Amino acid sequence: MRASVLLLAVVLLGAVGCESVRPWERDVLARTDMAWDPDPLESALEKHIEFSKEGSLDGGAAGGGGCGCN
Amino acid sequence: MSRRRAQNKAAARRARQRRRQAKRLERQTQPRTFLHAITSGALALPGLADRASAESAPLEMRADYKYSQYSEDSLDSGKAAPGSERDRYEIDIHQFRFEAPVGDRWGVGLELAHETMTGATPWYVTPGATPADDPVQVMTGATIDEARTDAMLTGTRYLDRGTLSGSTGVSIENDYLAVNLGVNGERQFNEKNTTVSAGIGGSFDQIEPVDTDLFPTRPDKENKQTYNLSLGASQVLGRATTIQSSLKYQLSDGFLSDPYKLAFVANIPETDERPDQRHQFSWLTRFRHHFTRMGGTLHLDYKLGVDDWGINAHEFELAWYQTLFERIRLIPSLRYYSQSQADFYAPFYVGPRSDGYRSSDYRLSPYGAFAYRLKAAARFQTWQLLWDANVSFERYESASDLAIQSVEVENPGLVSYNLFSVGLTARF
Repeated sequence: MRASVLLLAVVLLGAVGCESVRPWERDVLARTDMAWDPDPLESALEKHIEFSKEGSLDGGAAGGGGCGCN
Repeated sequence: MSRRRAQNKAAARRARQRRRQAKRLERQTQPRTFLHAITSGALALPGLADRASAESAPLEMRADYKYSQYSEDSLDSGKAAPGSERDRYEIDIHQFRFEAPVGDRWGVGLELAHETMTGATPWYVTPGATPADDPVQVMTGATIDEARTDAMLTGTRYLDRGTLSGSTGVSIENDYLAVNLGVNGERQFNEKNTTVSAGIGGSFDQIEPVDTDLFPTRPDKENKQTYNLSLGASQVLGRATTIQSSLKYQLSDGFLSDPYKLAFVANIPETDERPDQRHQFSWLTRFRHHFTRMGGTLHLDYKLGVDDWGINAHEFELAWYQTLFERIRLIPSLRYYSQSQADFYAPFYVGPRSDGYRSSDYRLSPYGAFAYRLKAAARFQTWQLLWDANVSFERYESASDLAIQSVEVENPGLVSYNLFSVGLTARF
């Protein structure tokens, strides 16, 4: 739990200390390897395996389904 | 007359689309300095500089296919009950995804998955032969052959400063049917440096267990409803750094037990019984930074999971995306996961609990896991299409002594697996 509070502090400090990036400076941010999920099928499969084989909730947005009983 | 007007309108729309595309490409590939022009050489390649997020309408159609083989390790002889099956699940997975722009401001996506599964699965856990021995796993006797088909349709409306999307999906097995719906919205501020998102979704599931004549304690038909809510924010921290944090809450209501598992209570195998409600929270934070000189991008993810069954989980993920010779990418990654046990879980029970709950499912047990993965991807252009081919291998191992906290008794059914995938993407 202490680690989580520390992480939150880092996130907030990071957000406060950030520089504003202008639209024409977004070339690096637009790279595919900067995406949150560069390979959507891989992310979908990983999420389904974690949902079927582990005990905690995934962190993604709404959606997904299936049994995963086995 | 009206036909000519319609043709003129369509031509004007196509011209508008071309102008927008040209402007975007100009912005994405414009070198700012000589050094930058050299170090970002990969960006000039078509496709490598495409969208990192769904913040603007898609300009091209994209189709993805992936084939994966998931193979669980056989149970160690010391962990299996004498005479029990030891081979576990093998799954073949085919996935297909297609996304396309519709007009200037809409995008549609279709995702399909088909899995065929075979093998035995954990059934119940019994105490060891003597009190000094660890408990052992009894597997399902017969090999299960099963298939699952999943389809998901998404529609997205692109607004000037955000998106609105809706999705609906269905998952079908011979004994299970799930239908889900979801709505998500994104709003950008501060010259698109800050994005706030929210989503709401629901899943409506029905299970009709098989072989109820052989196993009369299995229910004939049960239902479950799941509702979730997510809130998130992402922030650009610099020209090569970005962070995202999101919270998700989920309420599950209905039949949450596993009809195919049993729990050993006072030496008698009894049905798996869990509460009929579960409240789960997760908090996910993701960080991305690109090291221009090294041509590599760092991905760091952390997830905290908490629920009212008593499971607390931590997940750390670290990945490095190395671009080589402009067209090849090597992606090593590492994932660590640890969870505590559900309050009512036990490998077996000396006597019944006062609340009547019981489950010896390894997924509710305390353990930790490591996953190592290596992926290689290559980009090439042929038949006027842009292709991405990739291959990956992952090894996942779980054990009680990998958990953050100390664990007294390991569940013998913990899973370890290999996952091998090949994928192909075409853009046109």
